[in-house]
Amino acid sequence: MRGLFRSSGKWWRGAILLFALWAVAAWITTPAVEADVAERSAAALKSTVLDKTRLTPAGRDILFSADAFSEEGRRSAVAAVEAVPGVRLVVDQTRLVPQATPFVWSIERDVVRVTLSGSAPLPASRARLADAARAEVAGVEVSDRMNLARGAPTRFDAAALLLVDQIGKLKEGKITLSDTKVSLSGMARDLGGREAIGAALRNLPEGYSVAENDIKAPPYVFQANKDPVASTVTLTGYVPDNAVHAALAAAAGQKFFSEKVVDNLKASIGAPQGFANAVAPALGALSRLSTGTLVVSDREVRLSGDALFEAAVSQIRGELNKDMPQGWTVKADLSVKPAASPVDATVCQQLFNDLLGKSTIRFESASASIDKDSAGLLDRLIETAMRCPGSSIEVAGHTDSDGDAAFNQALSEKRARAVVDYMVRAGLSPERFQAFGYGSKIPVAGNDTDAGKAKNRRIDFVIR
Amino acid sequence: MMVMANFYGGWLLGSLLLGFAAGWISVVQRGDGLSKNAGMGIAGVAAVLVGLSLARIVPGRAGYWLDLFLVMIAAYLVGCVIGSWLRYWVVARQMKGN
Repeated sequence: MRGLFRSSGKWWRGAILLFALWAVAAWITTPAVEADVAERSAAALKSTVLDKTRLTPAGRDILFSADAFSEEGRRSAVAAVEAVPGVRLVVDQTRLVPQATPFVWSIERDVVRVTLSGSAPLPASRARLADAARAEVAGVEVSDRMNLARGAPTRFDAAALLLVDQIGKLKEGKITLSDTKVSLSGMARDLGGREAIGAALRNLPEGYSVAENDIKAPPYVFQANKDPVASTVTLTGYVPDNAVHAALAAAAGQKFFSEKVVDNLKASIGAPQGFANAVAPALGALSRLSTGTLVVSDREVRLSGDALFEAAVSQIRGELNKDMPQGWTVKADLSVKPAASPVDATVCQQLFNDLLGKSTIRFESASASIDKDSAGLLDRLIETAMRCPGSSIEVAGHTDSDGDAAFNQALSEKRARAVVDYMVRAGLSPERFQAFGYGSKIPVAGNDTDAGKAKNRRIDFVIR
Repeated sequence: MMVMANFYGGWLLGSLLLGFAAGWISVVQRGDGLSKNAGMGIAGVAAVLVGLSLARIVPGRAGYWLDLFLVMIAAYLVGCVIGSWLRYWVVARQMKGN
């Protein structure tokens, strides 16, 4: 044993070689050891939820930096790396993601893209929201600018996913969720979109509420265009429902007696209050124009075109303003059609017959009040009377055979007088007119059928 | 530590063999060994290094290299002890035989 001790004094010579061996070993094993501990550490963190995880090996030490979503999660992640076999030291540079107060998240849509911004509570919910946005607006670019933060209200994901679903209904706009308050602004994509979003918001999770809903709907537009060349009236745009649609189509058929009505209307919700009551008189006003366009946009009625004679302009404008429901505005941009060339009495009579062959002046039942639907026809009769200024005109009222003969006689006279008054109000000279009532004495058809009676109830114009 | 054997294994064996050779030769080598003071000095330095290693004070790569150095030294010393002891045993048998 003493020999062993004595010889140990000479062992150091071999240690010189050992140094060299150590240097080579350090050179060769260091990269492999570092790769190995980094890989094992990453594997140990696989099931933990962290953001911005970085594992930097130095020898057998690990520099560990990451953002954790709770203090408990942060500690368990560090412990998991420390427990990795082969790791000597863990330099802990982990921290908690910042707390967001208030917790604000938003989704915004503009012309080119949908942008998600604000805070999301976890990487998984962030990915889920971005995916939902991509699915909702398929084909539109989705830009994810969300950060991760703590402090989300409970059921944040459910609320945010519901709001993502609404972005498809917006043309442009922004939906913001601040803690549990939702605010919306922008323009709905379709008519009824605003209402659909409002209905969907009622399904927000408990505790969430709408602070501000400033979504605007696109204008509710109804259009009618009267084209005298093609002799058509084209109706386009929206009506609230099929009942209003049918009523408007029927009214248009009566008012535009000599034109073909082309009906391209579609039913849609979102009509302003009083829509049907505003559109009917507006169509009546359009029927009095020779050519014109009617645009009803939300609660604004714009009428433009040419009236048949000077006095009609103020009449149309006055009646339109009077007939509009509360809250509606009228813009009438009317001019007067150039006067047609004068014609002789025979042609004038022919023109009267043509007009009255297409339609007839209507009155309210058993009364001498002229039906408003006949305003278009009367304007044309007045225009015709203006073309033969020298002739005097007999306006003859006729009735069917129903009822008392004396009553019918009186009624036919009153109706003829009402028509003459109407013509005089339009600026024609009263001296040119004579009103006669013939009761049921001169029928033009049999009084045994309803169709025959309807033909007999008439006003004739005769040039004298 | 078992995990690290993958990386250390070959090098420890090399250190052991190197120690064995040094121990084998040292028995019959001429010349003086280290003085007592030098031996104490080396032992002191070794104790400090071991202390540093156990306290894990040296960070990063240097820490890894220190650990590697100490285990290689340990293997070397074990090799030396085995080498010297065997050589004594062989020499003693030869002397008995003569």
